[in-house]
Amino acid sequence: MLDIIIRNATQRKVRTGLTITGIALGIFALVVMGAMSENFNQTFEKSMSLTSESIRVFPEIGVFGGGLTSGKVAEVKRVPGVKDAYGLITTSFEEGHGGMGGKQVMGIPPEKSQLALNPVKLKSGRFLQPGDKYLTVVGTSIAGEFDLQVGNKIEIHDKNFTVVGIMEYTGSFFDNVATIPLETAQDLYNFDNSLSTIFAIAQEGVDEDLLAKRIEFSVKGTSTISPTELREQASQSLLIFSVITISSALLAAIIGGLSVMNTMLMSVIERTREFGILKAMGAETKDILLMTLGEAAIMGVAGGLFGIGLGSALTYALNSWLSTKGMFLFLITPRLIVVAMLFATIIGMVSGLYPAYRAAKMSPMEALRHG
Amino acid sequence: MDDSTILEVEGLSKTYMQGKIPVHALRGVSLSVKKGEMVAIMGPSGSGKSTLMALVGCLEKATSGKVIIDGVNVTDVPERRLPRIRREKLGFVFQHYNLLTALSAIGNVELAMRFSNVSKRERLDRAQSLLENLGLGDRLKHKPTELSGGEQQRVSIARAMANRPAIVLADEPTGEVDSKTRDAIIGIFESLRARGQTVIIVTHDQYVADHCDRTIRIIDGGIAD
Repeated sequence: MLDIIIRNATQRKVRTGLTITGIALGIFALVVMGAMSENFNQTFEKSMSLTSESIRVFPEIGVFGGGLTSGKVAEVKRVPGVKDAYGLITTSFEEGHGGMGGKQVMGIPPEKSQLALNPVKLKSGRFLQPGDKYLTVVGTSIAGEFDLQVGNKIEIHDKNFTVVGIMEYTGSFFDNVATIPLETAQDLYNFDNSLSTIFAIAQEGVDEDLLAKRIEFSVKGTSTISPTELREQASQSLLIFSVITISSALLAAIIGGLSVMNTMLMSVIERTREFGILKAMGAETKDILLMTLGEAAIMGVAGGLFGIGLGSALTYALNSWLSTKGMFLFLITPRLIVVAMLFATIIGMVSGLYPAYRAAKMSPMEALRHG
Repeated sequence: MDDSTILEVEGLSKTYMQGKIPVHALRGVSLSVKKGEMVAIMGPSGSGKSTLMALVGCLEKATSGKVIIDGVNVTDVPERRLPRIRREKLGFVFQHYNLLTALSAIGNVELAMRFSNVSKRERLDRAQSLLENLGLGDRLKHKPTELSGGEQQRVSIARAMANRPAIVLADEPTGEVDSKTRDAIIGIFESLRARGQTVIIVTHDQYVADHCDRTIRIIDGGIAD
């Protein structure tokens, strides 16, 4: 039966080709958007697993300095149940190039360097130490982009910094971070004594959610995000992002599916007499259904393969180009390939259902009289 | 000729609706055909000959009456089981051949056996042998568009014979061929008759009817006396 299905699908090459192209474009969109979503998912998950143990303390209004100072760090440290606390500032590596996936500069107290980056390990060199000034520990993407080794110089905000350490690859935002001493960062960016965020670490056995509330209550002018809240917020953001990206891709794929339905309806109408002949020869309803659905599924599979191929090629090319800028935007995962392939096949078959039903339900004589 | 009855038709009627107007294409036709008999059905256009063939061939449901093929009342058989009867008991030859243009001659004949669980090897062997017996041994791989009308009709007959049916139903099989091809087609049907297969031919051609064992005349949906 497969040979008949393939013969039918290839009989009208241009029309079949256009239909497959329609599906391929839909699946292409699904793969590209899905790869972007997968990358953000993974980056978020890894970033979460690396930093989710701390309570984040922000100024009550806004997160860009103003409210938080080194004095607040001392206040946070005094809250019962807090084991340790440190403040840091984060800012964009290049002005106007911040945002998701962009490089960041993180000013951290040198003595807390290892704690702030925990559990990230170094590929080479050392962490920042007290007394360091224009020294930096950089993530693997930054090291790759600027071809840095320990001892090399890198310019940050018009100042030369010497690389003293390079982090191992984490798959998280740390790969795009250059850490520098907090005081140097505050001078460099005119932050004075201000901080972007304070990280508080709970003592063992202390409920982090309750401690976060206690910090908010005890330290005036602060708001907190506990690890649990952070996970919830991140999941919600990811869900919204995934829904937006995947739905736009699904829309594209559904349009591809409609083109299959159109092609199959045309094909069924053109082949009505042929179905009549087959029925006169003893073909059963299931044979006609199989033939028509098989043809739709083949177009779906072919469109899926082309779409996945095109999507993979584009995301690979974009990732290669973006990596020169220290960014990595797309991640093709096995589950994305499986979902895209299944979706292409199912959309092909579902779109073929109505035409197949029309073909199968005709009486042989009615079909033979056609055309 | 065997004396046993292969086809029995009792009070067969078919009414179509043309909008809201009923059209009685067949009115209470009764007849019986014996195994190995070659019967011609004649009558003017629109008299109901093709409708009778469609009902006997299980291609359409009768409004009333019975069609009994080889002892089975096919009018009582549920729709889903009719394809099996068409496969095992009946073979069709159409006036316009109705070959699938994308398939070769052997592909068209082989296709008829696909729905009968015949192995591919056997399907191809049988199709080749049938086509060779009908003088198309050198035309096996030709597409219908590369064959003459007579050759296409012979492929169509080979296809009808592929599942070795008890009854071959031929609707105007010589309507579009020259007299030489007509003689050849009659010869093929006579050889089927000689092998004990029943052949029912709808025709306008008295010459074809003269080669049959008997002629049934249909006028206005009923059998003429």
